Amino acid sequence: MSYLEIKDLEISFPTPEGKYVAVRDINLSIEKGEIISIIGHSGCGKSTIMNAIGGMTIPTGGSVELAGKKIKGPGPDRGIVFQNYSLLPWLTVYQNIFQAVDAVMDCSKKEKQEIVTNNLSMVSLLQHKDKLPGQLSGGMKQRVAIARAFAINPGVLLLDEPFGALDALTKGTMQLELLKLWNLSGRDKTIVMITHDIEEAIFLSDRIVVLNNGPASTIREIENVHLPRPRNKIEIVKMPEYLEIRDRLLHLLTDKFSVEDMGVVYKK
Amino acid sequence: MVQKDGGGATTFYKRKIVNTLNLDEMSETETLTMTESENVESAIPLKEETQKENKMKYYLSIVIDKSKSLFFACIGLLLFGGFWSFMSSYTENELPGPVATLTVMQEMLSDPFYDYGPNDKGIGLLLVASVGTVLSGFLIGSVVAIPLGILMGASKTFKQILYPLVQLLKPVSPLAWFPIGLVVFKDTGMATIFIVFITSLWSTVINTSFGIGSIPQDHKNVAKAFGFSKWRYLTKILIPFSLPHIITGLRLSIGVAWLVIVAGEMLSGASGIGFFVWDSWNALSLEKVISAILIIGIVGLLFDKLFTFIENKVSYKA
Ligand SMILES: Nc1ncnc2c1ncn2[C@@H]1O[C@H](COP(=O)(O)OP(=O)(O)OP(=O)(O)O)[C@@H](O)[C@H]1O
Ligand SMILES: [Mg+2]
Repeated sequence: MSYLEIKDLEISFPTPEGKYVAVRDINLSIEKGEIISIIGHSGCGKSTIMNAIGGMTIPTGGSVELAGKKIKGPGPDRGIVFQNYSLLPWLTVYQNIFQAVDAVMDCSKKEKQEIVTNNLSMVSLLQHKDKLPGQLSGGMKQRVAIARAFAINPGVLLLDEPFGALDALTKGTMQLELLKLWNLSGRDKTIVMITHDIEEAIFLSDRIVVLNNGPASTIREIENVHLPRPRNKIEIVKMPEYLEIRDRLLHLLTDKFSVEDMGVVYKK
Repeated sequence: MVQKDGGGATTFYKRKIVNTLNLDEMSETETLTMTESENVESAIPLKEETQKENKMKYYLSIVIDKSKSLFFACIGLLLFGGFWSFMSSYTENELPGPVATLTVMQEMLSDPFYDYGPNDKGIGLLLVASVGTVLSGFLIGSVVAIPLGILMGASKTFKQILYPLVQLLKPVSPLAWFPIGLVVFKDTGMATIFIVFITSLWSTVINTSFGIGSIPQDHKNVAKAFGFSKWRYLTKILIPFSLPHIITGLRLSIGVAWLVIVAGEMLSGASGIGFFVWDSWNALSLEKVISAILIIGIVGLLFDKLFTFIENKVSYKA
Protein backbone atom coordinates (compact mmCIF):
# COMPACT_ATOMS: atom_id res chain seq x y z
CA MET A 1 0.00 0.00 0.00
CA SER A 2 1.58 3.22 -1.15
CA TYR A 3 1.39 6.61 0.52
CA LEU A 4 -0.84 8.10 -2.15
CA GLU A 5 -2.97 5.52 -3.91
CA ILE A 6 -5.16 6.33 -6.89
CA LYS A 7 -7.43 3.40 -7.74
CA ASP A 8 -9.65 3.08 -10.85
CA LEU A 9 -10.25 6.80 -10.69
CA GLU A 10 -13.03 8.08 -12.93
CA ILE A 11 -14.24 11.65 -12.98
CA SER A 12 -17.15 12.82 -15.07
CA PHE A 13 -19.04 16.07 -15.24
CA PRO A 14 -22.72 16.53 -15.90
CA THR A 15 -23.23 18.64 -19.02
CA PRO A 16 -26.35 19.60 -20.99
CA GLU A 17 -25.40 16.95 -23.57
CA GLY A 18 -25.09 14.29 -20.90
CA LYS A 19 -22.26 12.91 -18.81
CA TYR A 20 -18.80 14.03 -19.91
CA VAL A 21 -16.12 11.62 -18.75
CA ALA A 22 -12.92 13.60 -18.32
CA VAL A 23 -10.63 10.81 -17.06
CA ARG A 24 -11.09 7.13 -16.31
CA ASP A 25 -9.13 4.03 -15.27
CA ILE A 26 -6.43 6.06 -13.59
CA ASN A 27 -4.27 3.83 -11.41
CA LEU A 28 -1.24 5.33 -9.78
CA SER A 29 0.69 4.51 -6.63
CA ILE A 30 2.89 7.28 -5.33
CA GLU A 31 5.43 6.70 -2.56
CA LYS A 32 6.15 9.19 0.19
CA GLY A 33 8.83 11.61 -0.96
CA GLU A 34 8.35 10.98 -4.66
CA ILE A 35 8.25 13.77 -7.21
CA ILE A 36 5.73 12.99 -9.94
CA SER A 37 5.02 15.04 -13.04
CA ILE A 38 1.82 14.79 -15.02
CA ILE A 39 2.14 15.79 -18.63
CA GLY A 40 -0.34 15.80 -21.48
CA HIS A 41 -2.13 17.95 -23.97
CA SER A 42 -4.34 20.83 -22.93
CA GLY A 43 -7.76 19.69 -21.77
CA CYS A 44 -6.74 16.05 -21.24
CA GLY A 45 -7.67 16.08 -17.56
CA LYS A 46 -4.50 16.93 -15.66
CA SER A 47 -6.14 19.52 -13.43
CA THR A 48 -9.06 17.19 -12.92
CA ILE A 49 -6.82 14.47 -11.48
CA MET A 50 -4.99 17.05 -9.39
CA ASN A 51 -8.27 18.35 -8.00
CA ALA A 52 -9.27 14.84 -7.00
CA ILE A 53 -6.03 14.46 -5.02
CA GLY A 54 -6.57 17.88 -3.52
CA GLY A 55 -10.09 16.92 -2.50
CA MET A 56 -11.58 19.78 -4.49
CA THR A 57 -13.62 17.41 -6.64
CA ILE A 58 -15.11 14.15 -5.49
CA PRO A 59 -14.42 11.20 -7.85
CA THR A 60 -17.43 9.71 -9.63
CA GLY A 61 -15.68 6.36 -9.60
CA GLY A 62 -12.75 4.70 -7.84
CA SER A 63 -10.90 6.33 -5.00
CA VAL A 64 -7.92 8.36 -3.93
CA GLU A 65 -6.32 7.36 -0.65
CA LEU A 66 -3.70 9.29 1.28
CA ALA A 67 -1.81 7.43 4.02
CA GLY A 68 -4.47 4.75 3.98
CA LYS A 69 -7.39 7.14 4.31
CA LYS A 70 -9.86 7.94 1.57
CA ILE A 71 -9.71 11.59 0.55
CA LYS A 72 -13.07 13.21 1.16
CA GLY A 73 -12.14 16.87 0.95
CA PRO A 74 -9.25 19.31 1.07
CA GLY A 75 -6.98 19.41 4.06
CA PRO A 76 -3.88 21.14 5.40
CA ASP A 77 -1.83 18.02 4.63
CA ARG A 78 -1.96 19.05 0.97
CA GLY A 79 -0.85 22.43 -0.35
CA ILE A 80 -2.28 23.43 -3.70
CA VAL A 81 -1.00 25.89 -6.28
CA PHE A 82 -3.99 26.45 -8.53
CA GLN A 83 -3.52 26.86 -12.25
CA ASN A 84 -5.12 30.31 -12.13
CA TYR A 85 -3.27 31.38 -8.93
CA SER A 86 -6.52 32.00 -7.01
CA LEU A 87 -5.35 34.95 -4.96
CA LEU A 88 -7.85 37.09 -3.09
CA PRO A 89 -7.78 40.43 -4.90
CA TRP A 90 -8.64 42.57 -1.86
CA LEU A 91 -5.80 41.21 0.26
CA THR A 92 -2.18 42.28 -0.06
CA VAL A 93 0.46 39.78 -1.09
CA TYR A 94 1.42 39.46 2.56
CA GLN A 95 -2.15 38.99 3.75
CA ASN A 96 -2.92 36.44 1.05
CA ILE A 97 -0.23 34.20 2.49
CA PHE A 98 -0.81 35.15 6.10
CA GLN A 99 -4.51 34.24 6.03
CA ALA A 100 -3.66 30.76 4.76
CA VAL A 101 -0.90 30.32 7.34
CA ASP A 102 -3.14 31.67 10.07
CA ALA A 103 -5.91 29.26 9.11
CA VAL A 104 -3.69 26.18 8.92
CA MET A 105 -0.74 26.55 11.26
CA ASP A 106 -0.90 26.11 14.99
CA CYS A 107 1.73 28.47 16.37
CA SER A 108 2.21 31.96 17.77
CA LYS A 109 1.45 35.02 15.70
CA LYS A 110 5.11 35.97 15.64
CA GLU A 111 6.08 32.59 14.23
CA LYS A 112 3.36 32.88 11.61
CA GLN A 113 4.66 36.28 10.54
CA GLU A 114 8.13 34.83 10.31
CA ILE A 115 6.87 31.98 8.10
CA VAL A 116 5.19 34.44 5.75
CA THR A 117 8.27 36.64 5.54
CA ASN A 118 10.57 33.69 4.88
CA ASN A 119 8.40 32.34 2.10
CA LEU A 120 8.02 35.77 0.55
CA SER A 121 11.77 36.23 0.40
CA MET A 122 12.13 32.72 -1.02
CA VAL A 123 10.10 33.83 -4.05
CA SER A 124 11.84 37.27 -4.05
CA LEU A 125 8.64 39.17 -3.38
CA LEU A 126 9.39 40.65 0.01
CA GLN A 127 9.66 44.17 -1.37
CA HIS A 128 6.25 43.77 -3.02
CA LYS A 129 4.51 42.45 0.09
CA ASP A 130 2.11 45.38 0.41
CA LYS A 131 0.89 45.28 -3.18
CA LEU A 132 -2.50 43.96 -4.19
CA PRO A 133 -2.69 41.07 -6.70
CA GLY A 134 -4.11 43.49 -9.29
CA GLN A 135 -0.79 45.34 -9.18
CA LEU A 136 1.31 42.24 -9.90
CA SER A 137 2.48 40.66 -13.11
CA GLY A 138 1.33 37.14 -13.98
CA GLY A 139 4.61 35.60 -12.88
CA MET A 140 4.56 37.50 -9.61
CA LYS A 141 1.03 36.26 -8.87
CA GLN A 142 2.20 32.74 -9.56
CA ARG A 143 5.07 33.16 -7.13
CA VAL A 144 2.67 34.38 -4.44
CA ALA A 145 0.58 31.26 -4.98
CA ILE A 146 3.72 29.11 -4.68
CA ALA A 147 4.78 30.87 -1.49
CA ARG A 148 1.31 30.35 -0.06
CA ALA A 149 1.33 26.62 -0.76
CA PHE A 150 4.89 26.22 0.60
CA ALA A 151 4.13 28.31 3.68
CA ILE A 152 1.63 25.90 5.18
CA ASN A 153 4.36 23.24 5.01
CA PRO A 154 2.19 20.39 3.74
CA GLY A 155 3.24 16.78 3.37
CA VAL A 156 1.96 16.74 -0.20
CA LEU A 157 2.47 19.59 -2.64
CA LEU A 158 0.08 19.74 -5.59
CA LEU A 159 1.36 22.13 -8.21
CA ASP A 160 -0.73 22.87 -11.29
CA GLU A 161 1.65 24.38 -13.85
CA PRO A 162 3.36 26.30 -11.07
CA PHE A 163 6.08 27.83 -13.23
CA GLY A 164 4.07 28.22 -16.42
CA ALA A 165 3.96 32.01 -16.38
CA LEU A 166 7.61 32.51 -15.47
CA ASP A 167 10.52 33.47 -17.70
CA ALA A 168 13.30 30.92 -18.09
CA LEU A 169 15.58 32.54 -15.51
CA THR A 170 12.99 32.88 -12.77
CA LYS A 171 11.69 29.43 -13.59
CA GLY A 172 15.16 27.96 -13.04
CA THR A 173 15.44 29.69 -9.68
CA MET A 174 12.01 28.49 -8.61
CA GLN A 175 12.77 24.91 -9.63
CA LEU A 176 15.86 25.02 -7.45
CA GLU A 177 13.82 26.45 -4.59
CA LEU A 178 11.37 23.59 -4.96
CA LEU A 179 14.19 21.04 -4.82
CA LYS A 180 15.74 22.87 -1.88
CA LEU A 181 12.47 22.66 0.03
CA TRP A 182 12.20 18.99 -0.83
CA ASN A 183 15.75 18.31 0.33
CA LEU A 184 15.20 20.29 3.52
CA SER A 185 12.27 18.03 4.33
CA GLY A 186 14.69 15.09 4.09
CA ARG A 187 13.14 14.26 0.71
CA ASP A 188 10.04 13.37 2.67
CA LYS A 189 7.59 15.67 0.91
CA THR A 190 5.55 14.19 -1.90
CA ILE A 191 5.23 16.47 -4.89
CA VAL A 192 2.74 16.04 -7.71
CA MET A 193 3.16 18.61 -10.40
CA ILE A 194 1.54 19.34 -13.72
CA THR A 195 3.73 20.78 -16.42
CA HIS A 196 3.90 21.35 -20.14
CA ASP A 197 7.66 21.54 -20.08
CA ILE A 198 9.41 18.24 -20.87
CA GLU A 199 12.84 19.45 -19.70
CA GLU A 200 11.36 20.61 -16.43
CA ALA A 201 9.59 17.30 -15.91
CA ILE A 202 12.80 15.31 -16.45
CA PHE A 203 14.92 17.64 -14.33
CA LEU A 204 12.60 17.44 -11.32
CA SER A 205 10.75 14.14 -11.38
CA ASP A 206 11.22 10.55 -10.31
CA ARG A 207 8.39 9.52 -12.60
CA ILE A 208 6.53 11.22 -15.41
CA VAL A 209 2.91 10.32 -16.08
CA VAL A 210 1.84 10.89 -19.67
CA LEU A 211 -1.89 11.15 -20.28
CA ASN A 212 -3.84 10.35 -23.42
CA ASN A 213 -5.96 12.99 -25.03
CA GLY A 214 -9.52 13.37 -23.79
CA PRO A 215 -12.37 12.72 -23.63
CA ALA A 216 -12.17 9.85 -21.16
CA SER A 217 -8.41 10.01 -21.15
CA THR A 218 -6.32 7.38 -19.43
CA ILE A 219 -2.68 7.02 -18.52
CA ARG A 220 -0.70 6.45 -21.68
CA GLU A 221 2.67 5.74 -20.21
CA ILE A 222 4.65 6.17 -17.02
CA GLU A 223 8.25 7.13 -17.62
CA ASN A 224 10.79 6.40 -14.86
CA VAL A 225 13.62 8.88 -14.48
CA HIS A 226 16.64 7.28 -12.89
CA LEU A 227 18.99 10.22 -13.26
CA PRO A 228 21.12 10.55 -10.12
CA ARG A 229 20.34 13.29 -7.62
CA PRO A 230 21.33 16.01 -6.98
CA ARG A 231 20.83 16.80 -10.63
CA ASN A 232 22.62 19.58 -12.39
CA LYS A 233 20.76 21.05 -15.31
CA ILE A 234 23.83 21.49 -17.42
CA GLU A 235 25.21 18.03 -16.63
CA ILE A 236 22.07 15.97 -17.13
CA VAL A 237 21.31 17.21 -20.62
CA LYS A 238 24.50 15.46 -21.75
CA MET A 239 23.53 12.13 -20.22
CA PRO A 240 22.30 9.50 -22.68
CA GLU A 241 19.41 8.56 -20.40
CA TYR A 242 18.19 12.11 -20.41
CA LEU A 243 18.20 12.22 -24.18
CA GLU A 244 16.40 8.88 -24.42
CA ILE A 245 13.66 9.97 -22.05
CA ARG A 246 13.26 13.28 -23.79
CA ASP A 247 12.94 11.61 -27.17
CA ARG A 248 10.39 9.13 -25.91
CA LEU A 249 8.31 11.89 -24.32
CA LEU A 250 8.49 13.93 -27.48
CA HIS A 251 7.28 10.94 -29.48
CA LEU A 252 4.44 10.37 -27.06
CA LEU A 253 3.33 13.97 -27.08
CA THR A 254 3.80 14.90 -30.70
CA ASP A 255 2.15 12.58 -33.18
CA LYS A 256 3.26 14.77 -36.01
CA PHE A 257 6.75 16.11 -36.23
CA SER A 258 6.61 18.83 -38.84
CA VAL A 259 4.19 20.75 -40.97
CA GLU A 260 4.93 18.36 -43.83
CA ASP A 261 3.53 15.54 -41.71
CA MET A 262 0.34 17.52 -41.38
CA GLY A 263 -0.12 17.39 -45.12
CA VAL A 264 1.25 20.80 -45.94
CA VAL A 265 2.95 20.68 -49.34
CA TYR A 266 5.42 23.37 -50.33
CA LYS A 267 5.32 24.58 -53.87
CA LYS A 268 8.72 24.67 -55.47
CA MET B 1 2.27 87.02 -22.69
CA VAL B 2 3.04 84.97 -25.73
CA GLN B 3 6.67 84.67 -24.73
CA LYS B 4 5.75 83.53 -21.27
CA ASP B 5 3.59 80.79 -22.65
CA GLY B 6 6.41 79.68 -24.92
CA GLY B 7 8.78 79.58 -21.98
CA GLY B 8 6.39 77.40 -20.06
CA ALA B 9 6.20 75.00 -22.95
CA THR B 10 9.97 74.60 -23.16
CA THR B 11 10.40 73.86 -19.47
CA PHE B 12 7.66 71.32 -19.78
CA TYR B 13 9.48 69.77 -22.70
CA LYS B 14 12.73 69.67 -20.78
CA ARG B 15 11.02 68.02 -17.84
CA LYS B 16 9.69 65.40 -20.13
CA ILE B 17 13.21 64.52 -21.23
CA VAL B 18 14.35 64.29 -17.62
CA ASN B 19 11.48 62.00 -16.98
CA THR B 20 12.28 59.58 -19.77
CA LEU B 21 15.84 59.42 -18.51
CA ASN B 22 14.55 58.40 -15.13
CA LEU B 23 12.38 55.76 -16.68
CA ASP B 24 15.44 54.27 -18.33
CA GLU B 25 17.23 54.24 -15.02
CA MET B 26 14.29 52.46 -13.49
CA SER B 27 14.03 49.74 -16.06
CA GLU B 28 17.73 49.10 -15.63
CA THR B 29 17.35 48.49 -11.91
CA GLU B 30 14.37 46.31 -12.70
CA THR B 31 16.36 44.04 -14.97
CA LEU B 32 19.08 43.89 -12.35
CA THR B 33 16.66 42.58 -9.77
CA MET B 34 15.35 40.07 -12.23
CA THR B 35 18.71 38.49 -12.89
CA GLU B 36 20.19 38.64 -9.41
CA SER B 37 17.56 37.76 -6.95
CA GLU B 38 19.84 38.51 -3.99
CA ASN B 39 19.98 42.10 -5.13
CA VAL B 40 16.27 42.63 -4.78
CA GLU B 41 16.46 44.49 -1.48
CA SER B 42 19.23 46.80 -2.59
CA ALA B 43 17.50 48.10 -5.71
CA ILE B 44 18.68 51.67 -6.27
CA PRO B 45 15.89 53.98 -5.08
CA LEU B 46 14.83 56.91 -7.23
CA LYS B 47 16.40 60.22 -6.28
CA GLU B 48 14.27 62.05 -3.75
CA GLU B 49 14.05 65.14 -5.94
CA THR B 50 12.69 63.30 -8.93
CA GLN B 51 10.26 61.50 -6.69
CA LYS B 52 8.97 64.86 -5.47
CA GLU B 53 8.76 66.13 -9.00
CA ASN B 54 6.78 63.07 -10.08
CA LYS B 55 4.41 63.58 -7.18
CA MET B 56 3.91 67.23 -8.10
CA LYS B 57 3.20 66.25 -11.68
CA TYR B 58 0.72 63.64 -10.51
CA TYR B 59 -1.21 66.17 -8.43
CA LEU B 60 -1.05 68.73 -11.21
CA SER B 61 -2.58 66.28 -13.66
CA ILE B 62 -5.38 65.59 -11.18
CA VAL B 63 -6.08 69.31 -10.76
CA ILE B 64 -6.16 69.77 -14.54
CA ASP B 65 -8.52 66.82 -14.90
CA LYS B 66 -10.85 68.12 -12.20
CA SER B 67 -10.97 71.66 -13.56
CA LYS B 68 -11.68 70.30 -17.02
CA SER B 69 -14.73 68.36 -15.84
CA LEU B 70 -15.82 71.36 -13.76
CA PHE B 71 -15.59 73.51 -16.85
CA PHE B 72 -17.80 71.16 -18.85
CA ALA B 73 -20.29 70.91 -15.97
CA CYS B 74 -20.51 74.70 -16.04
CA ILE B 75 -21.26 74.60 -19.75
CA GLY B 76 -24.15 72.23 -19.03
CA LEU B 77 -25.47 74.47 -16.28
CA LEU B 78 -25.24 77.53 -18.52
CA LEU B 79 -27.17 75.76 -21.28
CA PHE B 80 -29.81 74.76 -18.74
CA GLY B 81 -29.99 78.36 -17.43
CA GLY B 82 -30.36 79.65 -20.98
CA PHE B 83 -33.20 77.27 -21.72
CA TRP B 84 -34.84 78.17 -18.42
CA SER B 85 -34.61 81.91 -19.17
CA PHE B 86 -36.07 81.27 -22.60
CA MET B 87 -39.00 79.32 -21.15
CA SER B 88 -39.53 82.03 -18.58
CA SER B 89 -39.75 84.81 -21.17
CA TYR B 90 -41.81 82.52 -23.42
CA THR B 91 -44.44 82.18 -20.65
CA GLU B 92 -44.14 85.93 -20.02
CA ASN B 93 -42.61 85.37 -16.59
CA GLU B 94 -45.41 83.16 -15.39
CA LEU B 95 -42.59 80.69 -14.92
CA PRO B 96 -40.07 82.68 -12.89
CA GLY B 97 -36.65 83.05 -14.44
CA PRO B 98 -33.28 82.19 -12.90
CA VAL B 99 -32.63 85.64 -11.49
CA ALA B 100 -35.99 85.94 -9.74
CA THR B 101 -35.67 82.43 -8.41
CA LEU B 102 -32.14 82.86 -7.16
CA THR B 103 -33.15 86.06 -5.35
CA VAL B 104 -35.92 84.19 -3.53
CA MET B 105 -33.61 81.30 -2.86
CA GLN B 106 -31.02 83.62 -1.37
CA GLU B 107 -33.69 85.00 0.92
CA MET B 108 -34.68 81.50 1.95
CA LEU B 109 -31.10 80.53 2.64
CA SER B 110 -30.27 83.72 4.54
CA ASP B 111 -32.33 82.54 7.52
CA PRO B 112 -32.78 78.81 7.09
CA PHE B 113 -33.51 77.83 10.69
CA TYR B 114 -36.35 80.10 11.82
CA ASP B 115 -39.35 78.48 13.43
CA TYR B 116 -42.68 80.33 13.52
CA GLY B 117 -44.92 77.43 14.41
CA PRO B 118 -45.67 74.11 12.67
CA ASN B 119 -46.61 75.61 9.29
CA ASP B 120 -43.87 78.18 8.95
CA LYS B 121 -40.34 76.91 9.31
CA GLY B 122 -37.03 77.79 7.66
CA ILE B 123 -35.88 75.69 4.71
CA GLY B 124 -32.98 74.35 6.78
CA LEU B 125 -35.29 72.93 9.44
CA LEU B 126 -37.54 71.39 6.78
CA LEU B 127 -34.54 69.82 5.11
CA VAL B 128 -33.31 68.42 8.42
CA ALA B 129 -36.75 66.89 8.99
CA SER B 130 -36.81 65.28 5.54
CA VAL B 131 -33.26 63.98 5.76
CA GLY B 132 -34.06 62.61 9.23
CA THR B 133 -37.09 60.75 7.92
CA VAL B 134 -35.18 59.38 4.95
CA LEU B 135 -32.25 58.25 7.07
CA SER B 136 -34.43 56.49 9.65
CA GLY B 137 -36.47 54.67 7.00
CA PHE B 138 -33.35 53.88 5.02
CA LEU B 139 -31.44 52.60 8.05
CA ILE B 140 -34.25 50.30 9.18
CA GLY B 141 -34.71 49.18 5.58
CA SER B 142 -31.01 48.39 5.18
CA VAL B 143 -30.84 46.51 8.45
CA VAL B 144 -33.62 44.28 7.13
CA ALA B 145 -32.52 44.16 3.48
CA ILE B 146 -28.84 43.23 3.87
CA PRO B 147 -29.40 40.05 5.94
CA LEU B 148 -32.29 39.10 3.65
CA GLY B 149 -30.05 39.60 0.63
CA ILE B 150 -27.29 37.53 2.23
CA LEU B 151 -29.75 34.71 2.93
CA MET B 152 -31.08 34.86 -0.62
CA GLY B 153 -27.59 34.86 -2.10
CA ALA B 154 -26.32 32.04 0.08
CA SER B 155 -29.27 29.68 -0.01
CA LYS B 156 -31.19 28.57 -3.04
CA THR B 157 -34.24 27.71 -0.96
CA PHE B 158 -34.40 31.19 0.54
CA LYS B 159 -34.06 32.65 -2.90
CA GLN B 160 -36.90 30.52 -4.19
CA ILE B 161 -39.07 31.65 -1.28
CA LEU B 162 -38.22 35.34 -1.33
CA TYR B 163 -37.40 36.27 -4.90
CA PRO B 164 -40.97 36.01 -6.27
CA LEU B 165 -42.11 38.19 -3.39
CA VAL B 166 -39.47 40.79 -4.19
CA GLN B 167 -40.42 40.73 -7.86
CA LEU B 168 -44.07 41.14 -6.95
CA LEU B 169 -43.62 44.05 -4.56
CA LYS B 170 -40.72 45.94 -6.16
CA PRO B 171 -42.70 47.54 -9.02
CA VAL B 172 -45.37 48.89 -6.68
CA SER B 173 -45.10 52.62 -6.12
CA PRO B 174 -44.09 53.11 -2.49
CA LEU B 175 -46.84 55.71 -2.11
CA ALA B 176 -49.37 52.90 -2.35
CA TRP B 177 -48.06 51.68 1.01
CA PHE B 178 -48.97 54.95 2.69
CA PRO B 179 -52.51 53.98 3.73
CA ILE B 180 -51.21 50.72 5.13
CA GLY B 181 -48.61 52.62 7.14
CA LEU B 182 -51.35 54.92 8.43
CA VAL B 183 -53.53 52.03 9.52
CA VAL B 184 -50.69 50.24 11.24
CA PHE B 185 -48.99 53.21 12.92
CA LYS B 186 -51.86 55.71 13.21
CA ASP B 187 -49.32 58.49 12.63
CA THR B 188 -48.42 60.33 9.42
CA GLY B 189 -44.77 60.74 10.42
CA MET B 190 -44.39 57.04 11.06
CA ALA B 191 -46.28 56.23 7.88
CA THR B 192 -43.80 58.36 5.90
CA ILE B 193 -40.87 56.54 7.50
CA PHE B 194 -42.66 53.31 6.63
CA ILE B 195 -42.84 54.09 2.91
CA VAL B 196 -39.18 55.08 2.89
CA PHE B 197 -38.45 51.78 4.64
CA ILE B 198 -40.32 49.82 1.95
CA THR B 199 -38.55 51.79 -0.78
CA SER B 200 -35.13 51.11 0.67
CA LEU B 201 -35.55 47.37 0.63
CA TRP B 202 -35.52 46.29 -2.98
CA SER B 203 -32.29 47.51 -4.54
CA THR B 204 -30.34 46.51 -1.46
CA VAL B 205 -31.87 43.04 -1.29
CA ILE B 206 -31.31 42.38 -4.98
CA ASN B 207 -27.76 43.73 -5.13
CA THR B 208 -26.72 42.01 -1.93
CA SER B 209 -28.06 38.64 -3.02
CA PHE B 210 -26.42 39.07 -6.40
CA GLY B 211 -23.09 39.94 -4.75
CA ILE B 212 -23.18 36.96 -2.40
CA GLY B 213 -24.43 34.64 -5.15
CA SER B 214 -21.66 35.55 -7.56
CA ILE B 215 -18.63 34.84 -5.38
CA PRO B 216 -16.31 33.12 -7.89
CA GLN B 217 -15.49 29.45 -7.41
CA ASP B 218 -11.80 30.44 -7.31
CA HIS B 219 -12.29 32.37 -4.10
CA LYS B 220 -14.33 29.58 -2.56
CA ASN B 221 -11.58 27.15 -3.54
CA VAL B 222 -9.04 29.18 -1.59
CA ALA B 223 -11.22 28.89 1.49
CA LYS B 224 -11.68 25.18 0.89
CA ALA B 225 -8.04 24.37 0.15
CA PHE B 226 -6.67 26.26 3.14
CA GLY B 227 -9.40 25.24 5.55
CA PHE B 228 -10.81 28.68 6.33
CA SER B 229 -13.16 28.75 9.29
CA LYS B 230 -16.70 30.12 8.78
CA TRP B 231 -15.63 33.37 10.39
CA ARG B 232 -12.53 33.73 8.22
CA TYR B 233 -14.62 32.98 5.13
CA LEU B 234 -17.12 35.62 6.16
CA THR B 235 -14.59 38.35 6.94
CA LYS B 236 -11.93 37.63 4.33
CA ILE B 237 -13.96 36.45 1.35
CA LEU B 238 -17.72 36.91 1.57
CA ILE B 239 -17.84 40.45 2.92
CA PRO B 240 -14.91 41.92 0.93
CA PHE B 241 -16.28 40.44 -2.27
CA SER B 242 -19.89 41.49 -1.80
CA LEU B 243 -19.38 44.83 -0.06
CA PRO B 244 -19.13 46.82 -3.32
CA HIS B 245 -22.38 45.21 -4.48
CA ILE B 246 -24.08 45.96 -1.16
CA ILE B 247 -22.96 49.58 -1.24
CA THR B 248 -24.24 49.92 -4.81
CA GLY B 249 -27.59 48.59 -3.58
CA LEU B 250 -27.58 51.10 -0.72
CA ARG B 251 -26.73 53.92 -3.11
CA LEU B 252 -29.63 53.06 -5.40
CA SER B 253 -31.93 52.61 -2.40
CA ILE B 254 -31.19 55.98 -0.85
CA GLY B 255 -31.60 57.60 -4.26
CA VAL B 256 -35.11 56.23 -4.61
CA ALA B 257 -35.86 56.95 -0.96
CA TRP B 258 -35.00 60.60 -1.47
CA LEU B 259 -37.15 60.56 -4.59
CA VAL B 260 -40.06 59.18 -2.63
CA ILE B 261 -39.79 61.39 0.44
CA VAL B 262 -40.90 64.50 -1.45
CA ALA B 263 -44.00 62.79 -2.77
CA GLY B 264 -44.62 61.17 0.62
CA GLU B 265 -44.47 64.47 2.44
CA MET B 266 -46.74 66.08 -0.11
CA LEU B 267 -49.18 63.29 0.59
CA SER B 268 -48.88 63.41 4.37
CA GLY B 269 -48.68 67.18 4.50
CA ALA B 270 -46.96 66.91 7.83
CA SER B 271 -43.56 68.46 7.43
CA GLY B 272 -40.36 68.48 5.48
CA ILE B 273 -39.29 69.71 2.08
CA GLY B 274 -42.14 67.93 0.29
CA PHE B 275 -44.64 69.75 2.43
CA PHE B 276 -42.79 72.98 1.62
CA VAL B 277 -43.18 72.37 -2.12
CA TRP B 278 -46.88 71.76 -1.71
CA ASP B 279 -47.33 74.75 0.58
CA SER B 280 -45.44 77.05 -1.80
CA TRP B 281 -47.54 75.86 -4.70
CA ASN B 282 -50.69 76.65 -2.72
CA ALA B 283 -49.28 80.09 -1.96
CA LEU B 284 -48.57 80.41 -5.70
CA SER B 285 -44.88 81.04 -5.10
CA LEU B 286 -43.28 79.24 -8.02
CA GLU B 287 -39.91 80.78 -7.13
CA LYS B 288 -40.01 78.84 -3.89
CA VAL B 289 -41.08 75.66 -5.68
CA ILE B 290 -38.18 75.90 -8.11
CA SER B 291 -35.76 76.77 -5.32
CA ALA B 292 -36.94 73.70 -3.46
CA ILE B 293 -36.46 71.59 -6.59
CA LEU B 294 -32.87 72.80 -6.88
CA ILE B 295 -32.19 72.14 -3.20
CA ILE B 296 -33.75 68.66 -3.41
CA GLY B 297 -31.54 67.95 -6.40
CA ILE B 298 -28.41 69.10 -4.62
CA VAL B 299 -29.13 67.01 -1.52
CA GLY B 300 -29.82 63.95 -3.72
CA LEU B 301 -26.55 64.56 -5.53
CA LEU B 302 -24.70 64.75 -2.21
CA PHE B 303 -26.20 61.42 -1.08
CA ASP B 304 -25.11 59.84 -4.33
CA LYS B 305 -21.61 61.32 -4.08
CA LEU B 306 -21.25 60.06 -0.53
CA PHE B 307 -22.13 56.51 -1.49
CA THR B 308 -20.04 56.61 -4.64
CA PHE B 309 -17.14 57.65 -2.44
CA ILE B 310 -17.74 54.69 -0.12
CA GLU B 311 -18.15 52.41 -3.11
CA ASN B 312 -14.75 53.43 -4.45
CA LYS B 313 -13.23 52.96 -1.00
CA VAL B 314 -14.39 49.34 -0.74
CA SER B 315 -14.00 48.24 -4.33
CA TYR B 316 -10.89 46.42 -5.50
CA LYS B 317 -9.18 45.65 -8.76
CA ALA B 318 -9.50 42.04 -9.80
N1 LIG C 1 -16.55 21.65 -14.05
C1 LIG C 1 -16.50 21.06 -15.27
N2 LIG C 1 -17.61 20.82 -15.97
C2 LIG C 1 -17.57 20.23 -17.19
N3 LIG C 1 -16.44 19.86 -17.80
C3 LIG C 1 -15.28 20.08 -17.14
C4 LIG C 1 -15.24 20.70 -15.85
N4 LIG C 1 -13.95 20.78 -15.46
C5 LIG C 1 -13.22 20.26 -16.46
N5 LIG C 1 -14.02 19.82 -17.47
C6 LIG C 1 -13.57 19.18 -18.71
O1 LIG C 1 -12.65 18.15 -18.38
C7 LIG C 1 -11.60 18.13 -19.31
C8 LIG C 1 -10.28 18.18 -18.60
O2 LIG C 1 -10.12 19.46 -17.99
P1 LIG C 1 -8.81 19.83 -17.18
O3 LIG C 1 -9.02 21.18 -16.59
O4 LIG C 1 -8.50 18.75 -16.23
O5 LIG C 1 -7.72 19.89 -18.32
P2 LIG C 1 -6.13 20.10 -18.21
O6 LIG C 1 -5.48 18.85 -18.64
O7 LIG C 1 -5.80 20.62 -16.87
O8 LIG C 1 -5.88 21.20 -19.33
P3 LIG C 1 -4.86 22.46 -19.32
O9 LIG C 1 -3.52 21.94 -19.63
O10 LIG C 1 -5.38 23.30 -20.44
O11 LIG C 1 -4.97 23.09 -18.00
C9 LIG C 1 -11.83 19.26 -20.28
O12 LIG C 1 -12.36 18.76 -21.47
C10 LIG C 1 -12.83 20.14 -19.59
O13 LIG C 1 -13.70 20.74 -20.52
MG1 LIG D 1 -5.22 22.42 -16.15
